Amino acid sequence: MQLSSLRLRRRLLPWMFALPAVATMAFGLLYPVAESFRLSFYELKLGEAVSPEAFRGLALFAEVLADSAARQSMLVTLHFAFVVVALEMVLGVGIALALEKPIRGMSAFRSIFVLPMMIAPICVGLIWRYMFDTNAGPINAWLEPFGVKPAWLADPGLAFLAICVTDIWQFTPFVFIMALAGLQGLDRSTLEAAHLDGVSGWQMIRHIKLPLIAPILAITILMRLIDALRGLEVVYAMTNGGPGLSTELFSLHIYKSAFVTQRMGHSAALSVCLLIATMVLSAALLAFANPIRRGR
Amino acid sequence: MRISRRHSLKAAGAAATMLAAPGIVRAQGTLWSKLRGQTIVVNLPSHPHYAVAKQIIPEFTAATGIKVEIDEMQYLRLKDAQVLQMGKPKGDYDVIVYVIMWKTEYVQRKFLVELEPMFGNADLAMPDYDRGDIIKAYYEGLGLVGGPRGYLPGPGAKLYGIPYGAECSVLAYRKDLFAKHDLKPPVTYDDLIAAARTIKTREPGIGGLAQRAQAGHQVTAGWLIHLTPYDGQVIDDKFEPRVADPAAIKATEVYKELIDTGPAGGAAFDFGQMMNSFLQGQSAIYCDSISVFGPARNPASSKVVDTVGYTVHPKAVKHSGELGGFGMAIPRNSQRQEAAFAFIQWMTAKAQDVKVTAKGGQPTRLSTLDNADVRKIYPVDVYRECLKIANPDWRPIIAEWTEISEKVLGIGLSDVITGKAQIAPTMADAATKIRAILDRAGYYKSRG
Repeated sequence: MQLSSLRLRRRLLPWMFALPAVATMAFGLLYPVAESFRLSFYELKLGEAVSPEAFRGLALFAEVLADSAARQSMLVTLHFAFVVVALEMVLGVGIALALEKPIRGMSAFRSIFVLPMMIAPICVGLIWRYMFDTNAGPINAWLEPFGVKPAWLADPGLAFLAICVTDIWQFTPFVFIMALAGLQGLDRSTLEAAHLDGVSGWQMIRHIKLPLIAPILAITILMRLIDALRGLEVVYAMTNGGPGLSTELFSLHIYKSAFVTQRMGHSAALSVCLLIATMVLSAALLAFANPIRRGR
Repeated sequence: MRISRRHSLKAAGAAATMLAAPGIVRAQGTLWSKLRGQTIVVNLPSHPHYAVAKQIIPEFTAATGIKVEIDEMQYLRLKDAQVLQMGKPKGDYDVIVYVIMWKTEYVQRKFLVELEPMFGNADLAMPDYDRGDIIKAYYEGLGLVGGPRGYLPGPGAKLYGIPYGAECSVLAYRKDLFAKHDLKPPVTYDDLIAAARTIKTREPGIGGLAQRAQAGHQVTAGWLIHLTPYDGQVIDDKFEPRVADPAAIKATEVYKELIDTGPAGGAAFDFGQMMNSFLQGQSAIYCDSISVFGPARNPASSKVVDTVGYTVHPKAVKHSGELGGFGMAIPRNSQRQEAAFAFIQWMTAKAQDVKVTAKGGQPTRLSTLDNADVRKIYPVDVYRECLKIANPDWRPIIAEWTEISEKVLGIGLSDVITGKAQIAPTMADAATKIRAILDRAGYYKSRG
């Protein structure tokens, strides 16, 4: 009897230590999400309190699913997320591989390289809106000798390209830092052994370095994917989602529902849809390359 | 009793203030003196008119003892902050500056204080305020809510705001370029379209008409400029959408044509970019708010100071100009409504209106247009003509307008002008969506 009580206590002890943190997390994270779910059943204007008369059940979800603008915005978001995350991964990992060796002045370069990440996204949006300005922007000034003057933010395709370039500029350094940390944490003896076996530079990257840092890259992709799906400020400042809906990321669509049309319930329903989409994509990614499972 | 020199000076100073602002002094004799020491918070936009108006606020504090804190933001962001504040039991804002298109929604949601009772309070109202001197189109368009269609002057309309930074539309053009190409200032839309085509083809790097066109509110505003001159409307008296009618289709075709012959990148311009395009010499024509008057004559903001001519918004099927801009109102949940009312009166009083207009702001009063100093620097005669055609029904100022403007027209029109969509099906789709919004809001319930 005493033995089983001791075992029980031992089993419960870790949970008791974890309880305060779990409870705080549950309140801090789950409560807003739960509240968002609750609001999505009500047709409310900004500033109005929840009331039984405002209850609409699943009608707002039905409206979201039937809304062609919401569907298009989701497609734009997925397109944007896949393009920017793929390019940021290629560029960030490539640069990390190029710069992993200790070279004189490299620490200063690394500091400069991560600067874009430190700028507030709304400022990034304003900076690049100016960069892409048709008449006053530096990009068109550079292109002037070639006789071209693209209307970057006034053309649906170019505007999409512009927001992708901006995101890549801002977040490639994040991928770079993560990949560099992974590369610098590699076991040197493994690399030296491969070197002694006559492995070429490309083989070293392809078969040794990348597989070894794959768990870190998986986490990086996951973080960037979630971030890209939630992108708002840059697009808000650069294009306000236009022309048409060509750059209207889903978060901007939600923002407009909440603050332009002030339909809080509708925007909550949209938020729930985005949360579900993000969770599905994240789960798919983790199923494909779960770093925790790999670690075990 | 011996009067010190210091007291004499104070008395002389007070007398000078009284002479300068008799209305204030009479009101100060009663309630205004009790307001001394209060601090009000004013939520106002980043806008050329308010940039000038802010400069005289310290004079208000000096004259009344009421301190003013300013919360300034981009004009389309005002609504987010205002709705959040006015939805609370006690709000932080004592004076809000609203865009004309929000007035009906704010009143329907019981956010604003009705001003007529405050003007009826002799202790609070400035005796020489003279509301009859405020430009009638602005007073009715910005201030009155509850009349026909909910926003027009007429039976049931009540006063909830005072216009300040109100606007009608005007056409500005480059006199030098027009003379160079033997063009006359546009009187009709045919003239305007022809001039825009000429400039686009003959002046490398310069567009015809600068317009607002960024997706959302801006593209709708740019389109509205042309809609009512072609006798189009967004919704009719029965709240049925009319954006797919032939008049609206024609106006949309004209809008696209003017975008195509406009400056490079014009299909993404917001208000500031549109005005800058004209002021920086990238466009030869401007047809929008009269807020261009101030910046156009300021060498710091304009490269075309001496070459700008003005004329009335051209006629298509009829003459019809914009009526828009800003008004000041008092939130119902303000804790300092009397001081807020004092502020609104003082800022819009005759003396201050002349002062702000002379510095580049926008006039609110007829007497300001008669002022000799203002006439020297302001195209007053053209302005008076523009006011005559300012259309109070330029856009339907119903509570659902923001949603219609930004989420329906603001997307469809953007697709049209960038060539992504055809006009007729886009406008038909917009009409369906507008009807769905109005149906959801209950406009057709009584019809069964």
